Amino acid sequence: MSTYTALTKATYKANVRDVATVFFTFAFPLVFLVVFGTIFRGQEVGDTGHGYVDFIASGVLAWGMASAALFGVAFTLMQWRNDDLLRLIRLSPASFGSVIGARYTIALALGLAQVVLFIGVAVSPFFGMRVGPQPWLVVPAVVAGVTAFMAIGVIIGSVANTPEAVAAISNCVVVPMAFLSGSFLPLDMMPDWLQSFSKVLPLRYLNDATAYSLVGAGDAGDYLTALAVLLGFSAVFLAIGAKVFRWTRES
Amino acid sequence: MSTAIDVVDLHKSYGDVRAVDGISLSVTTGEFLGILGPNGAGKTTLIEVVEGLREPDAGTVRVLGQDPHPRNRALLPRIGVQTQSAAFFTRLTAREHLRTMAALYGLGDREADAALARVSLEDKADARVNKLSGGQRQRLAIASALVHDPELVFLDEPTAALDPQARRDLWRLLLDLKEAGKTIVYTTHHLEEAEVLCDRVAIVSAGRVVALGTPRDLIGESDPRVQLVVPRRRLDPQAAHELPGSPDVAVHGEDVVLTTQDPGPLLAALSASVGLDGVRTRTASLEDVYLDLIGAPKP
Repeated sequence: MSTYTALTKATYKANVRDVATVFFTFAFPLVFLVVFGTIFRGQEVGDTGHGYVDFIASGVLAWGMASAALFGVAFTLMQWRNDDLLRLIRLSPASFGSVIGARYTIALALGLAQVVLFIGVAVSPFFGMRVGPQPWLVVPAVVAGVTAFMAIGVIIGSVANTPEAVAAISNCVVVPMAFLSGSFLPLDMMPDWLQSFSKVLPLRYLNDATAYSLVGAGDAGDYLTALAVLLGFSAVFLAIGAKVFRWTRES
Repeated sequence: MSTAIDVVDLHKSYGDVRAVDGISLSVTTGEFLGILGPNGAGKTTLIEVVEGLREPDAGTVRVLGQDPHPRNRALLPRIGVQTQSAAFFTRLTAREHLRTMAALYGLGDREADAALARVSLEDKADARVNKLSGGQRQRLAIASALVHDPELVFLDEPTAALDPQARRDLWRLLLDLKEAGKTIVYTTHHLEEAEVLCDRVAIVSAGRVVALGTPRDLIGESDPRVQLVVPRRRLDPQAAHELPGSPDVAVHGEDVVLTTQDPGPLLAALSASVGLDGVRTRTASLEDVYLDLIGAPKP
C-alpha cells in the first residue's frame, strides 16, 4: 500500500470513528439550515428573485465547509505534534507530499459530502431551494474554499498547543466571520459598511462562489473573482502556515 | 567493530542556553548504550541532533556513516525511533496503526504484523490504541520503531511509568533486540535498569558527558565504601564506634548503618559479637555514582 493510500485510509477512519467530527461536519450545520430555513420559509430576498433558503443553504453550507476544513486540520496538526506523531513521520522516509496529500484528499471529500447532503435537504419541498443551472461549478468552489480554510487551520494548529486553544481560536475566527460574511443572513439585509467590510473576509468569497454555483445567484464575474481571491488567500495563509509550522512541541 | 554513531565536539544552544556543550561520543555497532542524566541535562537535544531533527551549531555527527541533517531519506529507513509520548494514529487499532507506520516506510501489512508479533501484542491487534494499558502502549511504540527492521534504534524512556511486571517484560524484549544485533541508544531515569541492560552508560549533565563506561567500571571508579546495615536491637550505636574498620555510624529508623572502606575486619567483628543474622551489606550502585556526578546532595 502506498504511503498516500495508507494515510488517507488512516485519516478517514480517524474521522468517521469520531462522533464529534461527524456531528460537527454534518449534523451541526444542518441544524442551522433547519432553524434559519424555517424562520424565513417562503420569503424572497428583495428583488433578487431568490428565496431566503437559496442564500441560507449556500451560506450555511459554505460556513460548514470552512469550519470542517479549518477545525479538522488544526486539531489533527496539534494532536499529531503533541503525540510526537509528526516527529515519527519526519523520521520516516515518507514524502511530505503524500502526508499532506492524504489530509487534503479527506478534507475535499468531506467538503463534497457536505455539499451533497446539503443540497439533498435544502431541495426538499419543505425548504424549497431551487438548484441553479450549473451546480457542478461548486466543485472548484469547494477546492478553493477548503484550501483556504485548511491553510488557516495549519496556522491555528501550529500556534495552539491544546485542544482548548484550538477550539477557542478557531471559534473566534469562524463564528464572527460567518455572521460578517453573510453566511447566516444575506448581506443584502445588512448595512453598507458591513457589506464593504465583508470583502476582506475569505468566507465572503466562499459564500459568493457557493451561491453562484448552487442556486445561480450573482454573475459569472463574481464567481471567478471569488475563486481567484480564495486562491490568493490560500497562498498567503499557506505561506504563513509554512512559517509557523513546528515538527515538535518545543522548537 | 564498526561505528554506528560518531559524535565529535557537538554544540547546540537555544538562545543563551547551551543545551549540548561539547559532547563527543562513539557508539559501536551492536552496542546497548544508556544515556542518563537529569531533566534539562541535554539528553533530548543530543538525541534529536543525532536523529537529524536538529542541526548542530558546531561539531560533526555521523550516523551509520552518514550525515543525518538535513533530512536524509537514505539514512532514515535504517534507524527506528520510539518517542516518549505515545505516538499513535488517532482512533486506529494496534494493527491498523502499525500497518500505517509500515506504509510510511513503503512496506506492506506483512512487516506490520511481524512487528506486532515481535512485541507479543497479537491478542491486542484489534484493540484501539487508546484502550491499551501502559505496558502495551510501550510495546506498540517499540513495534512502531521496529516495523522496518532498522539497524539502529533510539528508545526514549521506554519503561517510564510501567509497573514492575511490565518493566521486566520489556527488559526481556530489549535484551532480545540486543541479541538480534541491533544497536540501541536509550535514555532512562531508572539506574538499576541501566545497570542490568546497558553495555555502557553515558551520564550527561549540563550539556556534557561527565562519565562514560560500563556500569561496573563507573561504580568501581567511584565510591569504594561499603555499608553494613545492622538491626538496632542487636547493636548499640555507641558501641559501634569501637568496632574495627573505623566505621561511620548512623541510625536510620530500626537500623544502625555502618559505613567503612574496609569491610572485612568489621564483618568478622560483628560475626563474633552480635552475629550476622539480619545484617545486610550495601555497596555503591550506579545510582550513587550518578548522584555524585550530577552533584546532587547525598541522602
